[in-house]
Amino acid sequence: MSAITFENVSHTPRAGVKGPGAAAWLAALDLPVPRAPNSWLPLPGGLIARLGLTEFLVEGSEAAKLAAPLAPGVYPVLRQDTALVLHGARLNELLLETCSVDFRALDLSTRPVVLTSMVGVGATVIPGEEGGMPCCHIWCDSTYGEWFFETLTDVAGELTQSSQPRHQGATS
Amino acid sequence: MRLPPQSCEWVDRSQPLGFRFEGRDYSGFAGDTVASALVASGASVLGRSFKYHRPRGLLSAANHDVNALMQWGGTPNVRADATPLIAGMDLKAVNTFGTLARDPGSALGWFSRLLPVGFYYKAFHNKRLFPLWERMFRAMTGLGRVDFATKRLHTPKRYGFCDVLVVGGGTSGLSAALAAAEQGAQVALVDENARLGGSTHGASELVDKVIAHPRIRVFTDAYAAGYYADHWVPLVERGRITKMRAHAVVVAAGAFEQPAVFRCNDLPGIMLASAAQRLIRRYAVRPAQRVVVLAANADAYRALQDFADAGIAVTAVIDLRDKVPGEQAARVAAQGIPLYSGHCIVEALPAADDKRVAKVRVAALGEAAVVAELACDGVFMSVGWAPAAALLYQAGTKMRYDDGVHQFVPGQLPDGVFACGRVNGIHTPESRLLDGERAGSAAAAYCGFGEVRDIAVKAEMESPTHPWPIVSHAKGKNFIDFDEDLQLADLENAIQEGFDNIELMKRFSTVGMGPSQGKHSNMNALRVLARATGSTPGAVGTTTARPFFHPVPMSHLAGRGFTPERRTPMHHRHAAAGAVWMPAGVWQRPEYYAVAGQSRAACIEGEALAVRNGVGLIDVGTLGKLEIRGPQAAEFLERVYISKYAGLKVGMTRYAVMCDESGVVLDDGVVARLADEHFYFTTTTSGAAAIYRELSRWNTLWKLDCGIVNLTGAMAAMNLAGPRAKAVLEGLTNVDLSLPFLAVREGMVCGVPARLMRVGFVGEWGVEIHVPAEHGAAVWDALMEAGKAHGIRPFGVEAQRLLRLEKGHIIIGQDTDGLTTPGEAGLDWAVKLDKAFFVGQRSLMAIAGKPRRQQLVGFMLPAGHQGDAPKECHLVIEGGEIAGRVTSVAWSPSLARHIGLAYVRPGMDAVDSSFTIRLSDKSLVTAGVVKTPFYDPDNLRQKETT
Repeated sequence: MSAITFENVSHTPRAGVKGPGAAAWLAALDLPVPRAPNSWLPLPGGLIARLGLTEFLVEGSEAAKLAAPLAPGVYPVLRQDTALVLHGARLNELLLETCSVDFRALDLSTRPVVLTSMVGVGATVIPGEEGGMPCCHIWCDSTYGEWFFETLTDVAGELTQSSQPRHQGATS
Repeated sequence: MRLPPQSCEWVDRSQPLGFRFEGRDYSGFAGDTVASALVASGASVLGRSFKYHRPRGLLSAANHDVNALMQWGGTPNVRADATPLIAGMDLKAVNTFGTLARDPGSALGWFSRLLPVGFYYKAFHNKRLFPLWERMFRAMTGLGRVDFATKRLHTPKRYGFCDVLVVGGGTSGLSAALAAAEQGAQVALVDENARLGGSTHGASELVDKVIAHPRIRVFTDAYAAGYYADHWVPLVERGRITKMRAHAVVVAAGAFEQPAVFRCNDLPGIMLASAAQRLIRRYAVRPAQRVVVLAANADAYRALQDFADAGIAVTAVIDLRDKVPGEQAARVAAQGIPLYSGHCIVEALPAADDKRVAKVRVAALGEAAVVAELACDGVFMSVGWAPAAALLYQAGTKMRYDDGVHQFVPGQLPDGVFACGRVNGIHTPESRLLDGERAGSAAAAYCGFGEVRDIAVKAEMESPTHPWPIVSHAKGKNFIDFDEDLQLADLENAIQEGFDNIELMKRFSTVGMGPSQGKHSNMNALRVLARATGSTPGAVGTTTARPFFHPVPMSHLAGRGFTPERRTPMHHRHAAAGAVWMPAGVWQRPEYYAVAGQSRAACIEGEALAVRNGVGLIDVGTLGKLEIRGPQAAEFLERVYISKYAGLKVGMTRYAVMCDESGVVLDDGVVARLADEHFYFTTTTSGAAAIYRELSRWNTLWKLDCGIVNLTGAMAAMNLAGPRAKAVLEGLTNVDLSLPFLAVREGMVCGVPARLMRVGFVGEWGVEIHVPAEHGAAVWDALMEAGKAHGIRPFGVEAQRLLRLEKGHIIIGQDTDGLTTPGEAGLDWAVKLDKAFFVGQRSLMAIAGKPRRQQLVGFMLPAGHQGDAPKECHLVIEGGEIAGRVTSVAWSPSLARHIGLAYVRPGMDAVDSSFTIRLSDKSLVTAGVVKTPFYDPDNLRQKETT
C-alpha cells in the first residue's frame, strides 16, 4: 500500500491568461484576484493562482469565464497541463527527494504557489494540508506528464519500501 | 583481545556475528567495526602497504585508515576501521599479491632504492618504454577490484534544510548545536561516527541533551563531503545523500591525530593513542598488552588512564618535549612509569614473524646514541594534531598558522561560517565546550535567533602539537605518508630536485594523494619542506582542499538522477506503429517505423517514397510553438528575426531565421500571421526552450506592448505531405484546401479547432496541422484512418531528413555550427539589412563586404558511384589541405544519386565544379557542386494548389 496517493486531475477544466491587463480583466469577470505574486485563492469548485506578477491560472468550472473577449494587454494561455494531486504521510519526503524547495518552511495560511523544478521538470506546486496530512497540487507540461508521473511514482514506491535505516534521532 | 564489558561500550554482546577475513573465520559483535572485531580476535596485520607491501595494522581507526582497506564482494576499498560488522561478511585485504599472510610483493621493499621519489614521472619520461611501464604499473598498482557486473544502484539523493548545520559531534560540536538550538534555530548535526560524543565516545550528558532536543536533527554515520556556495553541504549517509542547505555552518570537525616519524613507524601494533582509546572505550578491545607511549602533549597523559583501565602495561613514556609539565610528569610518576623527556623513538623493530612491533630504540632528541631498548607489543603515539579544516578551506576561510598551537587555525571566516574546537585551535576539553557554545550562539544569531553570547575562551596554555615529530634515520623506512609509502628521504630528495613548493612537492612525490588524502601526512610533509627551505609552515602553506573531503562511493555519485523525457501526445501511436526511437533533445522521436523483414534503410526509403508518391504523416509536435500578441507584436518579430514581418499579410507565413548579436545563425522556423496583432510561430525542436527564454529576455528589455506565450507542449502538430495529402484531409476539415503555398488558416479538423500551415519542408504539397495537445492523438488517428485508402504511411525523422535534403533545406545545428552566418549557409536572401534593427544586424553589416570563411553548397556523387559514400563530417580536401566538411549526405531514392551539403572554401562553390572528400579509410571521392534544390528545382510540387 502506497504511503502517497496520486490523483490525476488533468481533465479538470482550466484556462490561463497573462499580460499587464490580466489582473484587471479577471477582476472585471468577477473573479477574485490574488494580490500577492505566487499565491492563490479558492473558487467554487476550483482555484485561481497568480503565477508571478502577471500570469494567472484558473481551474474548475470558473475557467469557462476566460472565454470572454480579451482586453488590451491580455493574452490567453492554452493550458494543457498534466495535473496531479498528491496526498500522504510521506509526501514531504517525496518532495525532498524531487525538488529543492523547502515546502515545510512555507506558511500555508498565505496560500503560496511555488514555481519550481521537480525531477528536472518545470512545475507549479500548491502545497497544502488535508485531514492532517500534507498534500499538494502539481501542474506540469503535459508532454513531460507521463515521465513525470512515472518518476514520481517510482520514488514514492521506493519510499514506501524504503529500508533506509533511521539514524540516531534522525528525522526528515 | 576483548575486554570485560565496559561502561559505555558500543558493542552488543548479545549479538555475536560470524565473518571471514582472508579465508579465516572470525567473530565479533553487533556494534563492532570490521577492524575492531579483527583486533579483538587477535589479528594484528590487516593490510599491506601500497608500494612495498609491508604488513600493516590499525593506525588511526578514524575512518581514514589506509592500512585497513578491504574488498567485500563487489565492493572495493571498504574502510574496515569504520565499517560496521555484518554477519556473513567475507573480506580480503585489497593490496596483496597472493595472500595477506604470504605476499611476494613484500620483496619490493628490498628494491626501494630503485624506486625513488617521482619514479612514475621518471619512468614515463621515455616514450619508447612508456607502454611497458604502463602495463607493469597497471598490473602492480591499484587498490580494490571493481566488479563491472555490479548492478546499478539508484541511491537516493534528497534536499535538506536547516538554520544551522553543525559538522562534528564531538564536545565542541555538541555544545554548538545545543547553544544554537536553545536560541531557537533549527539545527542539523552531522558526525561520521556511529554515535555522537567524539573523544568522549558517546558517554556524556551533553550527548543525551542533544539527542533529546526537539530542534536538533542528528545525522550519525554520515559525513559532510564538501562545502559549496551558499552553505550547501552534501551529507553522505550509507544509503543516501542529503544536500543540506543551511543558513549558517559551524565547523566543529576536530583534528586528525598525527603520527610521529621514525624508522619502521608503520609496524603493526604502532598506532595513534586516539586509535587505541577508540578500541578500548567503544569496542572493549585491548589492542596490546605492553606498550611504549610516545608523547608530546597533554592528550597522551590523559590517555594513560584509559590504558591503565584496560589493563595495558605502559613500559615507558617517551616525550619529545624537553620539559614535561609538572602535572603530567606527576601522573606518570604516580603510576611508576619511566619517563624519557626530550627523547624520541629512533627505530621500531619487528617480532620474528614480522607481524608486530617487538621493541623500540630510544635516543635523546637529535642524538644518534640509543639510550634504551624497550620491549613492547605496541606503541601508542600522541604527538600532535592537524585540523580537519577541509570544509573551512572550501568555504573560503583564510587560515593562518598559529605558533602557539603549531597548527593552522581560521584567520578570517566567511559570512555565516563558524569554527570551534580543535579545528579552531582549542584543544582543552573545558575550552572546547565553551568554544562550541560561543560558535553555536553566534551562528544562531547570524540566522536571526537570539543575541550573540559573550563567551570568553581561554587560549591554550601549551601546544598540543610538537613542531617537529620527525626523526631521520640512515636506513630510512621512516614513513611520512602511509598511503604511498613515502619516507622522509623521499620528500627531502624531491625538494632537492627542485620541487620546493608545496603544490609541486605534492604532485611529484604524491604525498597526500592516497586514499586518506594527506590527513596523516600533509602537516609533516609541509614541516619537512619548511625546514629544508629555511621557511616556516605558515609560509609554506597547505595544498588546495577540494571536495570531496572524504571519498564518496560511486553508488552515491552515480545514484538516482533525473533525465526528463518529453513525449508528444501521439507517442503511443508511434509505439504501436513500430517506431524505433531516437532522442531529439529531451524528446523521444520516431527515427523510423520498423517493418517486419525490412532493413532500417529500406524502411526509411519506403517512408520517403510514400511521401513522394502518395502521402505520409509525421509528428512535428516537438517543434517550439510560440504565440505573440499585441500592438507591437510585429515590431518584436522584426527585431528578433533577420527577415521582415511587419508587412506579412494576415493569413500568410514566412520562413524565419534568428541570429545572435554576432550574426551567427541561432534558430529557424516559420512565422504565421493570424491577425494584425497576433502571430503564431515555430522554432527548432532543440532550440524551443532556449529561444523562448531569449525572446522573453528581449521582451523584458525592450518593453514592447506585446506578450509571448509558449505553446510548445500545449499544441500537438503533424505534417501531412504528399501528392495524396489533400485528398486525405479534404473530408476532415472545413478549411478550403485550395489555400496557396505558405498560407495559414484557422478552422476545424476532425471537429477540433486547428491551425493549418501550408509548408514545403519535404518538397511536396503539405500542411502542418496544429491542434490542442489533448486532441492530438484523435486527429492523428483520423488522418491515418482516412489515409488508408491512399496508402498513407507515418514517416520518421530519418525520412524527413532525406526529403528535406532533396530540397536543399538546411537543418540548424547540423548544417550550421556556432560560427555560421546566414550568408555562409546560403540564406542571404532572408537577410534584410535595410530594416531599422534586428539582433545581429550590426555584425552582419560589418562582414557584409568581406570575404567569407566558407560557403555551403550542394554536391552530388557521380551516377553509378561504387564503393563507400561520404558521411557527415567527412572532410573536403583541396591540395592536401582541409578545405571544408560534409554536413549532410544521403542516398536519394528519388534521384538515384548520393546527394549532400558541404561547406567549402570560397572559390570552390561554382556550380559544375568539383571537389574531393576524404572517407574514413582515407580514400578520396570526387563530388560535383550542384545547384539546390536537388529535387523539383522549381518547387512546383509543393506549391501546387489544385
